[in-house]
Amino acid sequence: MEQKAPLGMKRAGKMRVFSRPRFTLVVAPLLLLTILAVLPLFGPGPNIIRLLFVTFVWVTVSVAWNILGGFGGQVSFGFAVFYGLGAFTAALAINGGVNPVLSFLLAGSVALLASLLVGLPTFRLKGPYFAIATIGVSEAVRVVMTNFSLTGGASGYRIMETGAFHQLQHFYTALALAVVAVAVSILVRRSNLGLALIAIREDEEAASDLGVNPFRVKLLAHALAAALTGAAGGVYARYAAFIHPQGVFAFYIGVAILLMPIIGGVGTIWGPVIGAVVYGLVHEELIASFPQFHLLLYGSLLILIILFEPGGVVGLLDKSFRILARARGTSGSHP
Amino acid sequence: MAPILSVDRVTKYFAGLAALKEVSFDVEQGGICGLIGPNGAGKTTLLSIIAGSLRPNSGAVIFQGRVLGGTKSFEAAQAGIVRTHQIPKPFRGLSVLANVEVGMRFGRSQRSAGDTHEAQRILEWVGIAHLAQAAAGRLSVGDQKRLELARALAAGPSLLLCDEVCSGLTESETMSVLRLLREIRKAGTTILYVEHNLGAIMSVCDHVIVMNYGQKLAEGSPEAMQKDPSVIEAYIGTTAGT
Amino acid sequence: MSAVDLLNLLVAAFLLAGVYAAMSVGMTIIYGVMKIVNLAHAGFLMLGAYFVYELYVRFGIDPLVGVALAFPVFFFIGMAVHWLLIRRIPPSDQPTLTSLLLLFGLWLVLQNLGYLIWGNADRAILTPRTLSMLGVGPISFPTVRLVVFAVAVTSLGGLEFVLHKTWFGRAVRALMQNRDAGRIVGVNVERTARVAFGVGIAFAGAAGGLLAMLFSFSPDFGGPFLLRAFVIIVLGGLESFAGVAVGALILALVETFSILVLPANYQPAIAFSLLVVALVVLPDGVAGLWNKRHRWA
Repeated sequence: MEQKAPLGMKRAGKMRVFSRPRFTLVVAPLLLLTILAVLPLFGPGPNIIRLLFVTFVWVTVSVAWNILGGFGGQVSFGFAVFYGLGAFTAALAINGGVNPVLSFLLAGSVALLASLLVGLPTFRLKGPYFAIATIGVSEAVRVVMTNFSLTGGASGYRIMETGAFHQLQHFYTALALAVVAVAVSILVRRSNLGLALIAIREDEEAASDLGVNPFRVKLLAHALAAALTGAAGGVYARYAAFIHPQGVFAFYIGVAILLMPIIGGVGTIWGPVIGAVVYGLVHEELIASFPQFHLLLYGSLLILIILFEPGGVVGLLDKSFRILARARGTSGSHP
Repeated sequence: MAPILSVDRVTKYFAGLAALKEVSFDVEQGGICGLIGPNGAGKTTLLSIIAGSLRPNSGAVIFQGRVLGGTKSFEAAQAGIVRTHQIPKPFRGLSVLANVEVGMRFGRSQRSAGDTHEAQRILEWVGIAHLAQAAAGRLSVGDQKRLELARALAAGPSLLLCDEVCSGLTESETMSVLRLLREIRKAGTTILYVEHNLGAIMSVCDHVIVMNYGQKLAEGSPEAMQKDPSVIEAYIGTTAGT
Repeated sequence: MSAVDLLNLLVAAFLLAGVYAAMSVGMTIIYGVMKIVNLAHAGFLMLGAYFVYELYVRFGIDPLVGVALAFPVFFFIGMAVHWLLIRRIPPSDQPTLTSLLLLFGLWLVLQNLGYLIWGNADRAILTPRTLSMLGVGPISFPTVRLVVFAVAVTSLGGLEFVLHKTWFGRAVRALMQNRDAGRIVGVNVERTARVAFGVGIAFAGAAGGLLAMLFSFSPDFGGPFLLRAFVIIVLGGLESFAGVAVGALILALVETFSILVLPANYQPAIAFSLLVVALVVLPDGVAGLWNKRHRWA
C-alpha cells in the first residue's frame, strides 16, 4: 500500500555511513596495507619505524574499544586495565622463556578473563553508570598493581629477552595485530553480533523485547575487545622492555583509548583507525615538544567533537562529500 | 483447547501503590483478545509483565502451559511472546529493513543473515516496503507504528502483544492496521490487543477484557461489554463502541 | 584495640563524613536537576583547593574565610560554565553519554590548567590550627577536622534552608522529581538549571577548599574525591539529600575502619569496591531500601 510522506516532512533520506562507493573502501585500505608492508625495505629510518609501530598498537586498541563502545554504545573508561594486564602477562611469560607469539596470545587470554570479571557486575548497569564504574575499576586495578610485589610493584618490571631480534619484528608484529583487529571489527560488524550490538546501542529495551540477550552480547563484545587490547599491551611491552604500573595502567591510557575512536568517528569501521593515526602522530610529536598541554588538547578536542561533530573525522568527511555532491548538482541522497 | 496464555492473580506495586490487583484471565489461542480500560487502569503494566520486562509482585503468567519467570523480555521473545510499544521505539540509526532484520535474527524464528526477502515481504505486508532503506528515526509516527508491527512479526511470535497500535493514526490508517491484525490472526498468531480506540476494539476482537483501577472489571464478547452497565460507568463521558 | 581507640576512630569517621557530605552535595544537585553526572566536579574541587590556598599564601586570608569566599566566586564560575557549555547539552531524563564525555573533557582541561598554573608539586595549607589537637575526655582529634566539619554541616544546613524555604529551592525540588511537570507549573527550567549548576559548583569549590585544609593536594587531587562523591551519591540514592548524609557516613566509616584490616596503600580501592557494590546491589541507594520498606504493600 503506497503512502505519501506527509506534507512538510523531510523525505526519509537514504542511510549511508560513508557516501563513497564501496570500491574505494576496499581498494584504499589494501593499497595502504601493501605500502606499509614494504615500507621498511626503503630504509625510512628507525624513528619512522618507531612511530608507525606505536601507531599500529594504537590502531589495534582503538578498533578494539570501538567494538564495544562504538558498535554497542557501552563507553568504558577502563581499557587500560586490559592493556596493562596484557603487558604484564606477556612480560612475565617472555621472561619465563615462553615464545613471544604465545606470550601475546596469553596476554590476550588473561585480558579476556579480566573482561569477564569486570563485565559480570558492571554490565548490569545502564550506560553512564557503567562508564563511571569502569573509571573505578581502572583506578582500583592501578592501585593494586602498583603495590603488587610479584611484578616489581611501583618500580616496574624489566623484560630480559634472550636471543637476538630485529626492530622490524616489532613493526611487523604490530602491523599484523592491527590488521587482525580491523578484520575482526569488520567481521563483527557484518555478523549477528554486530547487529545485536547496534540494536542495544540504539535501544536496549527494544532489543531485548525482540529476543536479544543484552548481557551476553555485551560480555562477548567486551571479551573480544579486551583480548585484542591485551595482545596489543603485550606487543608494546616486548618493544618497551620495561613497563611499570603507573605507565601502562595510567588513567590517561584509558582516556586515549576512547578518545581515538571518538576523534575518528565512533561506531564506524575506519573511524577508529583514522583516530588512532591522528592521535598516534599528534601524541608522539606533542609529547616531544609540549608535554604540558596534552590533557588540555584532548579535553578541548573531546568537548569540541561532542558539541559540534559527534561523528568525528568520518562524520566531517561524510558531510563534506554530501555538500560537494549537492554543489555538483547530483543528489547525495536517493529518493 | 487450553488457553495460550493464562494470567493468574497478577499483582504489581509501584512504590506502595497497586497498579495491578489480582488480575486473572485466559486468552484463547488463535483469536484477537482486546484489553481495554480507562487511563491508569494498568493495561500497559500488565502487558509489560506478560512481555517479561516487568516482574509481578505476586501471581503468575502461564504461556503455553509453562510458567514464565524472571524479568527477561528476551526470554519471553524467544518463547514466542513479542510486543509492540505504545510509543514506538525504533532503532533510529538503522534502516527500516535492518530494524526488521533484528526481529528476524534474534526472535524465535532465528532466521539466518541472508533472508532479506523475508524481511522485504514483511515490510510489504505491513505497507512500508517503499521505506526499506530509510533511517528508522525519520519515519512519521504512523509508519513507525507499522515498523513496530513489522519488527515484532519478524520475530515469529505465537502471541503478539499490541500496545495501542492505532493511537495517533487517521481513520484510514486505523482501518488498514485493523485489516493487518485480522490477517495476522488468520495466519495463526494470537493477539492480545490493548487499545483506547473502542471502535477499533469492537470491530476486530473476538473477546474483550475490561480493566479499571488495576483490576479486571468484566470480560466477554464485544457486544456484551458494550451493554454492560459497569463498563459503561467506568467510561462515563466516553462513547463506548462507535 | 581498646574502646578509646575505637571511639577515636568513630569520631574521626564522623568528622570526615561531614566533609564528604559537603563534597558530594554539589554533584547531587546537578544530577537531580539536570540528570547530568558532573565529572568535572573533580576539577572544581581542585580549583577550590588552590583558590583557598592562594588566598592564604598570598594575602594571608584565613582558609575559613577563603572557603566562605569560594561560595560566591564558584557560584558565578558555575553559572558561566553552564552558559558556555552545559546548556548546549540536549536535555534528557537520564544521564547521557554526551553529557558524560563533555564534562569529562572539561575535567581534563581543568586539570591541565592546574598543572600549567601550579605545577605538579604537592601543596598543603598549614595553619596553627592544622597542628593543634582538641581533646574531649579520652578522645582527641585535630582541631582543624572539627572546624572543617562545623563549616561543612553549616553549609549543608544552609542548603537545606534554601531548598525548603525559598522559591528557588522549591523549583529545584520540583524539577528533581519531574522536569516536565515542573515546567507546566511555571518553573523556568533553563534559569533554574543554571542557578542549580552554579550552586553545585559553588559547593564543589568550597568543599575543595575544606578538603585542602585537611589533605595535601596537587592538580589531580580531584580524582579520588570524585570517585568518593560518586559512591556517596549512589549509596544515598542519587537524588536524596538525606541520602547523601547517610552515604557519606557509610563511606567514612568503612574507610576509617578499614585501616584495621587493610594496608594503607590499598585504601583507594575501597571507594571503588563500594561503588560497584552500591551500583549493582542497591540501584536505588540506601535511601531506596528505606523507601521500599516504609510504603504500604
